[in-house]
Formats: sequence, C-alpha cells, structure tokens
Amino acid sequence: MAIPIFSEQLNFVVETAFTILAVIFCFLIYIKTKESYELTKYEGIKYFRDAFLFFGLSYLLRFIFSLIFLSRIAFDFILPRKIFIPLFILPLGYFSTISILYLVFSLIWKKVNNKILLIGGHSIAILLTLISVITRSHLMLIYLQSFLLTVTIVWSFLIHSKKLSQTKILYILVFVLWLINLIILGNRHHSLFEILAMIISIAVFIKIYSKVSKRIK
Amino acid sequence: MNKKRDKLEVIFDILRIISLNHNSIKPTPLQRSSNLSSTSFSDYYNELITKKLIKEIIDDKNRKYITLTDKGFKYLEKYKVISGFIDEFEL
Repeated sequence: MAIPIFSEQLNFVVETAFTILAVIFCFLIYIKTKESYELTKYEGIKYFRDAFLFFGLSYLLRFIFSLIFLSRIAFDFILPRKIFIPLFILPLGYFSTISILYLVFSLIWKKVNNKILLIGGHSIAILLTLISVITRSHLMLIYLQSFLLTVTIVWSFLIHSKKLSQTKILYILVFVLWLINLIILGNRHHSLFEILAMIISIAVFIKIYSKVSKRIK
Repeated sequence: MNKKRDKLEVIFDILRIISLNHNSIKPTPLQRSSNLSSTSFSDYYNELITKKLIKEIIDDKNRKYITLTDKGFKYLEKYKVISGFIDEFEL
C-alpha cells in the first residue's frame, strides 16, 4: 500500500499548485506558437498548439473533477457525485482524448488525409466520452484512453518514423503522465510516487515550453 | 533544384524574390524566378493574396506590380525560426 506523505489539507494545496503550473505551461506553449501559426497557417503547428490548449483545459477540468472528491476538505461540504461526475466527465473525456490525438496528428498529418483525421479524431473522442459518461466512471476513461494511447503510439511509429526522438519521448511522457494523473485523481493522500508523477509532469511541460521558446524567441 | 521544396519553403522563396526586387515585381518575372509551373504559381499566388502576405498594386499606366505586406515581411523575418521549430517537433 502507498504511504501517504501529506495531510488532506496539504494534499489539496499540492493539487492546486500542480494544476496551476500545468495549465500555465500548456497555455504558454499555445500562446508562444500563435504568431508562427498565424503567419503560416501550417497544419502541423495548428495540431501541436491545439493539443496543448486542450491539455491545459483537461488539467483544469481534472482539478475541478478532483474537487468533487475533495469537496469536504476544500469547502467543508460534499458535492453530490451522482450529478457532478457525469457533468464533468463529459468535457474532461472529450478534451483529454482530443489533446492526445492532436499531438499524434501533429506528427502524422502529412501522411493521412486531414478530413479523415479530424472526423475520425472527434468521433473517437465523442465515443470514448459517451462510454465514460454512461458508466459514470473516470476509470473507464482511463482504460479507454490507455488503449487509444497504445494504438496511436504504435500507429504513429508505423507511419511517421520508427526513430525514437527526444520529441517522441516527451510526447509519450505527456500521455503516460496524463493517465497517471487521472488514476490518482481524488486520492485524499498522495504517495511519494504520486507526488513524483506530478513533479515529472511539470518538468515535461517546462521542457517542451523551453524547447518551443528556444526556437521561437 | 534537386530537393523537392516544401510549401513553406516555396512561399519563402516567392516572398524573398519580391523583397530582393526592391519590393516591387511584375507577376511574369516573379513566376519565372520562382521555378514553378504556371498552375502551381497561380495556386501559390492566390494563397499568398488570401493570406495577405502579398498585395497587388496597379500603377498610373495600368501595370500590375506585386509587393509584400507587413505580414509578408514578418514571414521572411521569421521563416528560419518557424522552420527550425517545425523540424524540432517533427511537425
């Protein structure tokens, strides 16, 4: 069993700080690439920046979702889960799935018809979201996204390039850490492993932002 | 040219030709210098007008010239940076 290292109150503070940092860096990546996209209208840049916009929104929604579990600690009252879970799982499922897909699309868009990518991507995101809403479980979302992740990673390696570059390693880390952060959602006590996952998540976003900043000054 | 130019590079080349001609060139010499077929040049030309990277100017003698817009100059200035960013993230 994981050893809790923070009290419930401190856990809430950690969640808040983590979300603020994750959202800030995702949005900074989005803002930083605005001019490059507006000048070129390059599809690859569009998928890349939209992926981080949706990741930012996903982390924000993840935090709101966690409040359902942590509401007693945060506000001293309990939010009715039966109402709020389907309500928040809907945008959470959709935005997070589309962000995963858009990041993969940014690599493979030259090899696949863009209309197919968009229609297929949004259909998959809607389908995954609906299944999660019907089952009222964010765990279902984790299982489905894990499957989707495995398929898209293999797919992108097959049609893009088999070389494991630093960018691809960072993308895989973004995906895997998203799933870990979804798994630990609502835990009242974070273990050392969970805290480590949050720190690595922020480090990955900072690394991507610094790579973007280094190129686009 | 041996290597097939990608779209961003072709746009950069067209804009650079205009810039090197004191920001004023007629369509025919521009097409010749850009090494594109007439169909391909026409597609790029329309795209550059739509994206507001270039604009047409008609002089007193009714001759058409092409010039860069501020956005076109910005594209030239930022091309290497954007190209590096695209390579870095394999976009």
